[in-house]
Amino acid sequence: MSTTIEALADDLSAKFGQAIKSKIVDKKIVKIEVGREDITAVAKYLRDNMGWDHVKAVTAIDLSRATKKEDRLEVIYHLGTYSRADCWGLDLAISCRVEKASPRMTSLTDIWPSCEFHEREAFEMFGIVFENHPNLKRLLLPDYWSDIPPLLKDYQPPGR
Amino acid sequence: MLRYAGSVLPIRPKSGLFGLHLTTSKNIVEMVEEREATPLERDRILREDSVGRVDRRREGGELQLITYRFRNFRLIRYLVNWGRMASLFPVHLTTACCSVEFAATHSSRYDPERFGWLPATGSLRQSDVVVVEGTVTSKMAQRVRLIYDQMPDPKWVIAMGACAISGGLYAKDSYNVIQGIDDIVPVDVYVPGCPPRPETLFEGILLLREKILYGRAL
Repeated sequence: MSTTIEALADDLSAKFGQAIKSKIVDKKIVKIEVGREDITAVAKYLRDNMGWDHVKAVTAIDLSRATKKEDRLEVIYHLGTYSRADCWGLDLAISCRVEKASPRMTSLTDIWPSCEFHEREAFEMFGIVFENHPNLKRLLLPDYWSDIPPLLKDYQPPGR
Repeated sequence: MLRYAGSVLPIRPKSGLFGLHLTTSKNIVEMVEEREATPLERDRILREDSVGRVDRRREGGELQLITYRFRNFRLIRYLVNWGRMASLFPVHLTTACCSVEFAATHSSRYDPERFGWLPATGSLRQSDVVVVEGTVTSKMAQRVRLIYDQMPDPKWVIAMGACAISGGLYAKDSYNVIQGIDDIVPVDVYVPGCPPRPETLFEGILLLREKILYGRAL
């Protein structure tokens, strides 16, 4: 484990402290989980003061059939940086858990415009509604789709 | 004159069903049902002709009957089918990764043009055969069916690769892949493989030639 990644993890702990609900430090990735009320402030700080200037991917996980079952969805933003040369190979992930019954999440499009299409995909594949998103509509699914979002664990594929 | 010459049966039975999620698309369902004979029409044909001659249509009157009998002489039929077999225009329809092998089949190493398989550079309305190259998603299924419907009538379909045959890698647990394209178009030759080697596709082309010439694969 490189010293850079430990320093990064220590920085994050020192700055956000109570806001971080869980933290995972691996070889090339740091993942922190924050609450929905904190995520905008955390994201803004990461962009302005720590140089994480773009979003690589936005994904979600249905935790209802994970090993530790939980009736929630986890939205994960994978951040990348161009301005910090020491963090080029690293990946910082911030995540947030939302209720599965009515998943609502704050959109981070204002902070990183590049997550617009990723959030649209998470919207159609998991049914997560991103508030304040400029153009929240279907991206990949066909227009006549009338089933539940297909990447939820409850979804039954039609098969043959 | 050659209007009904190609297909053995003008009324083709629909083979298979749509995926569940496709039945909501009204246009597609209508397009498929258009090609089926209604029970009324089927009964009428059975009454006027006989069971063995369901494929015969008598709407054109005497002239139609004469041309029908003429082109059913064995020699004439053979020559017509020979002409078809020896100049096949494929449609350039790429749906997935099998198109790489499709392109390799057209290269000078294999050179299918010596068997009358022409380069895929024409319009749909002049084409005879469509090779469905790989996975067909439910969105693409509409386009495949549109392309098939635009082709003039003696037309053949080759299903290339495991995904086009049965869903392949995406069988049974996919939300958007058609489980075999015989749900949407009638298939003449199945070419297995993931993806098939050029030799395998070539074998499929030769099988299709036999099928066109003799009405069956020998």
